[in-house]
Amino acid sequence: MNKKGVRWLYGELPQLVGQGVLTSDAAERLRGHYGEAEPLRPARLAVVVFGVFGALLIGAGIILMLAHNWEELSRPVRAALSFLPLVLAQGIGAWTLARRPQSLAWREGASSLVFLMIGASISLVAQTYNISGDLPRFLLTWSLLGLPLVYLFDALVPAVLYLWGISEWACHLRFEDGFNAGYWPLLVLVLPQALRWMREGRYGTRPTVFLWAVCVSVTVAAGVTIERVLPGLWIILYSGLFALMFLAGEFWLGEAEGFWARPLRHFGAGGLLVLLFMLTFQWPWKEIGWNHWCSGHERELSWRALPDAVLGSVVPLGAIVLLATTARRKTVLGALLGCAPVVAVVGYCLASLTEAYAPSAGIFDLYLLAVGLWLLVTGLREAKQGQMNVGLLALAALVIARFFDGDLSFLLRGLVFIALGVAFLVTNVVMLRRKGGSHEQA
Amino acid sequence: MNKRNGLLLLFAVVAAAQLAVPASMIIGRERTLREGRVFKFRTRPVDPEDAFRGRYVWLSLEPGAVEVPETGSWLHNQKAYAVLGQDTNGFAVVERLEHSRPAQVPAVQVRTLWFNDRTREVNIEWSGLDRYYMEEGKAPQAESAYRSHSLRTNRTCYVTVRVRGAEAAVENLFVDERPIRAWLRDHPEEKKAER
Repeated sequence: MNKKGVRWLYGELPQLVGQGVLTSDAAERLRGHYGEAEPLRPARLAVVVFGVFGALLIGAGIILMLAHNWEELSRPVRAALSFLPLVLAQGIGAWTLARRPQSLAWREGASSLVFLMIGASISLVAQTYNISGDLPRFLLTWSLLGLPLVYLFDALVPAVLYLWGISEWACHLRFEDGFNAGYWPLLVLVLPQALRWMREGRYGTRPTVFLWAVCVSVTVAAGVTIERVLPGLWIILYSGLFALMFLAGEFWLGEAEGFWARPLRHFGAGGLLVLLFMLTFQWPWKEIGWNHWCSGHERELSWRALPDAVLGSVVPLGAIVLLATTARRKTVLGALLGCAPVVAVVGYCLASLTEAYAPSAGIFDLYLLAVGLWLLVTGLREAKQGQMNVGLLALAALVIARFFDGDLSFLLRGLVFIALGVAFLVTNVVMLRRKGGSHEQA
Repeated sequence: MNKRNGLLLLFAVVAAAQLAVPASMIIGRERTLREGRVFKFRTRPVDPEDAFRGRYVWLSLEPGAVEVPETGSWLHNQKAYAVLGQDTNGFAVVERLEHSRPAQVPAVQVRTLWFNDRTREVNIEWSGLDRYYMEEGKAPQAESAYRSHSLRTNRTCYVTVRVRGAEAAVENLFVDERPIRAWLRDHPEEKKAER
């Protein structure tokens, strides 16, 4: 049960015992079973946030002062000063571990300061000695030196900074045509700590923020680590990746409340809807598949093909395995969005075999139509305004895109826009009235 | 040992590793600057449109292309080692381009750009030697001096680089045979004139 539920239950217990519904023994056993209900303490979160911001601002100030590159100082003195920010931050870190190990604000603030000062010190040395170039190597060194802070301080911010660092590294290496599939083992290095947070409470703030960061990082990295040899593989990989996120969120984190508390589900669903919309156009399907194999550098081909083969198969297969579980659980939305990788594979094979683009785009027209309609209808039926509007938005995007493809008159296009606008207004007004009515009855 | 002391000990190890990286950079560069052989590099004419880079002068060294026996053995954007020599005027020349780090001879790591099959030349980028940091405020003047002295008609700019094995460090930037800082002191009129 989530924390909110536990707090509600504990609030009810005295009344239930008083009315004789539960014995006091049973109430105690319930308390023992669910453990401490953490009280809501917004002030605590504010302290952590301001602690981290304060640390970052001080760090940035020190860096800017040293970046002035004081010429009055000799080179060895400037070199020694380059250590200053890092040594100061490490001192604060050691003090935190020794004296304030229980304070989340100190742990997060000190560890993020140390993390940033590692990069600052390396940059200041580089400035003193006119060292330039090799940005990817700098990012990788920085991230790896910062990673232990996640474990030592049990801290979220360094974990998010590490994710940023390795994603940047993968992107820059891609621009330099380097082999960046190392992103995936690097990602695994930070996961044990995330699993520890999840074991402490799946719906806690730290695992939730971490999962949002992972979703963004993995989405960026997937794009830059694949497609060295097989054009168009992104279609299968991304449909698999977003479906995997959505289904994993549905299964393992299904009880969270609110939009922000369900990163996997909402990031996956959002990503899928955008992807489905893109795939209703013909451009993604052009010149893809095995007939357009990139054979630029023959001797590097085997290495380059590896991430394509592994990611392009493991991720969609993982999604399909989860989809099979969905079929047993009979959740319609799970099945509907979960089958995206299967549809993508069908579209991909069709476009590769026939070199015709319209059929694959047409399949996704129908697919997005089905998803949009289902979201709209169930949203209306179950009075879920957000879901209804997402469905309506998907349908509107589809209709508008197809109308712009076709050679239709302004009059007809104008009428379609008005019809869509009216549909949005009417459904929302109806929904609000219905909700208002049910509140009054209650 | 309790948990707190264990954590502190681990943190000490991690902190030492964090300090070791900038420290090793400093030691390597200091050794290169003290023990390395000096090479004078001509600077290439620079694009006057090239944006002002803030706190450093954007260097562009010569030679920009190297003749190789066969361009086919090189890929675009590949690491390579430029084995250095000197011409009769005392400026650096690239004797040959190697795929791996050569032993015993001074060589600088570069990146390959594009190829000219007709002249059998590989264009290279001196990627590790393209910045010369100045004090904030002086860099724009230095850059404008560097630009006006690296034109096709007026090329009196050069850079000294210390090379030890395969490690290289930019030592100084010269304009009219004077180190840039001294040159700026002698030419206060250069201040903001060309910004």
